Amino acid sequence: MSKHDDIIERMQESIIEAEEEDAEAAAEAALAAGMDPLDAVEKGFAEPIRNLGEAFNRMEIFLPQLVLSAAAMKAGLSVLEPALKARADYEASRKGTVAIGTVEGDIHDIGKTVVIAMLRSAGYEVHDLGADVPMPNFLQVAQQVKADVIAMSALLSTTMLRQRDLIELMEIKGVRGMYYVIVGGAPVNESWAREIGADAFALDAFETVAVLNARERLESSNA
Amino acid sequence: MSDNSPFKILTEDQIQSIHQTALGLLEEIGVLVKEPRARRYFKQAGAVVDEDNMRVRIQPDIVAEAIKQAPSRFTLHARKPDNTVEVDYRRLHIEPMIGRLNILDLDTGERRRTSITDVANLVRVADAMENYHLLHSGAIMPSIEGVSLHAAHVNGYLTSVRNTGKVVKASSRGRETAEDCIRMAAVVAGGEEALRQRPNVFTTVNPVAPLQHDQGLTEGLIEYASYGLPIDVTSEPQAGATAPVTLAGLLAQQTADVLSGITLAQLVNPGTPVWYGTCGAIMDMKLGAIALGAVEAGLINAASAQLAAHYNIPCRGTGAATESKLLDIQAGYEKAITLLMAALGGINCIFYPGVLEHALTISLESLVIDNEICGMALRALRGIEVNADTLAVPVIEAVGPGGNFLGQRHTLNFLQQEQFMPSLSNRQTREDWLSRAGGKSGWERAKDEVRRILAEHEPPPLDASVEAELERIVGEVEARQR
Repeated sequence: MSKHDDIIERMQESIIEAEEEDAEAAAEAALAAGMDPLDAVEKGFAEPIRNLGEAFNRMEIFLPQLVLSAAAMKAGLSVLEPALKARADYEASRKGTVAIGTVEGDIHDIGKTVVIAMLRSAGYEVHDLGADVPMPNFLQVAQQVKADVIAMSALLSTTMLRQRDLIELMEIKGVRGMYYVIVGGAPVNESWAREIGADAFALDAFETVAVLNARERLESSNA
Repeated sequence: MSDNSPFKILTEDQIQSIHQTALGLLEEIGVLVKEPRARRYFKQAGAVVDEDNMRVRIQPDIVAEAIKQAPSRFTLHARKPDNTVEVDYRRLHIEPMIGRLNILDLDTGERRRTSITDVANLVRVADAMENYHLLHSGAIMPSIEGVSLHAAHVNGYLTSVRNTGKVVKASSRGRETAEDCIRMAAVVAGGEEALRQRPNVFTTVNPVAPLQHDQGLTEGLIEYASYGLPIDVTSEPQAGATAPVTLAGLLAQQTADVLSGITLAQLVNPGTPVWYGTCGAIMDMKLGAIALGAVEAGLINAASAQLAAHYNIPCRGTGAATESKLLDIQAGYEKAITLLMAALGGINCIFYPGVLEHALTISLESLVIDNEICGMALRALRGIEVNADTLAVPVIEAVGPGGNFLGQRHTLNFLQQEQFMPSLSNRQTREDWLSRAGGKSGWERAKDEVRRILAEHEPPPLDASVEAELERIVGEVEARQR
């Protein structure tokens, strides 16, 4: 087995075993060996996490496995990030960036955690703003991380109003067109999403990924 | 715990161990308290309060004092005197669910949003059910289809008190919401002083697991406590998600959540009646979704009842929850098992009858079916009485070998106390069930019963002047600018 294959295998194992330090070490080894970072990420990290995401979707593995593996991937990716960004074709290669949070006044964030794990496993860069997020913070972080997508969660029918408020704020600030806005949470449904002018509603984590993937395909076919 | 709570899941040592761990969590890690007034109460009592990160660390002696102040029994006065409830840490009462976002439509079987008419019907059915004592209500619903959002609580409350003579629960979601509900409850009670003397309303306050006290609900807690109105302080941990996956860890964390809330209530107004509350369940890790009908919820309830009994405080728990979307066999076994475990474990107020699918949906038929399960659980809890009369030696002697007991007065005399009389279950032979009962399933029979109640049952009417005043308050809240 070649040295490169060996490193890819170590990277894959770090994801499957959900070991952050191993993922970082394997990523460093990939850099030291002069491997193509894009290729290393795809084979070493993206492939195993995708497999885990699909296995979770088929109800074959448990959620904590996916959450921990996604965290390991995030750790490994951060090592490779500078090299990735240095590549000219980096932007074209990546999937979207999502800024996600639970809206102001709502401190429930467990559903969001599931969504984040699924999105990461599907290859999205996810920035978690946490819970009880004031509206301006959504926009601030979305701008900082150059997000394509703003995802808002709300568990209560009182706090879901904040989803509407954020969209209104985006309109006022003239930034509505810059982001694809997706909403979710127990009281939220399709007609609410339409009413407040969100781009999409997702029932659960799987649907979030499906909706954003469909959007990606559309974007790339338009490009 | 109830007089007969035969299901003891924890030993005395284990109770101590969970209790000590909870005290340690409160002192070392503390709780996040978002409401500034609440932090001031804690600070005045000597707790260590970090204003920058809103963290409150509470020493064991502060908690111990609060536990001593919380009463072990209290009374909730119903509009219909027969329905007054003596809450006691040795008795069981049942609190069906009324207000949920969705309802399973009685006629179509489809899920849709719950309207104010549905609230009226749900409360009326619950009013007619003999095993329901304390009613959740439309006042708790954050939203009711067709009602303006900022007036859902007052409309929900009015519709609820109109349709029952039983004790109705109201909302603590935010200071103003709590004030509105308390104002209306005072009208029903006959004035503010009467409300303080004879509380006719109670509320739920949920610490958000792990170890957080939300701003709005904490404002509500302070309002209710300042009137001395009963509060169930109920943590909702999900094992593996918002609490450790190990049930022991969940119980310790939940106890810290609940005791910190109870402590706050006592700091606001010593002697405020409270329940130690659990809505503990697990996360289904293959889905990432809550499982309220899981057998582990039954274990958490039984253990919680023992912990609350350790504090001499009544315990509110859950039972009759299910993840099923229909009133099918899964609904039946999940409801029965969780309810029976909570009842036999010694929970004093069991919440949830009436719900389906993660408690997101309510059903009129489920209220009727669960009333039957509650009847069975209440019978189970009464246990078996053993004395000279029940040992029945003279009767056995009179019948002698080979006889039967049908003609004995003893049989007739003891029948109704010994046997639960089902009102929904069908025990006929197949032939009779087909020819005389239309061969209907339990769900269909429950639908018939709902229709009968809605056609026939008349709750005690509100006094006209009381009703007019309540309507005036609803109008006032609706007119508020938002």
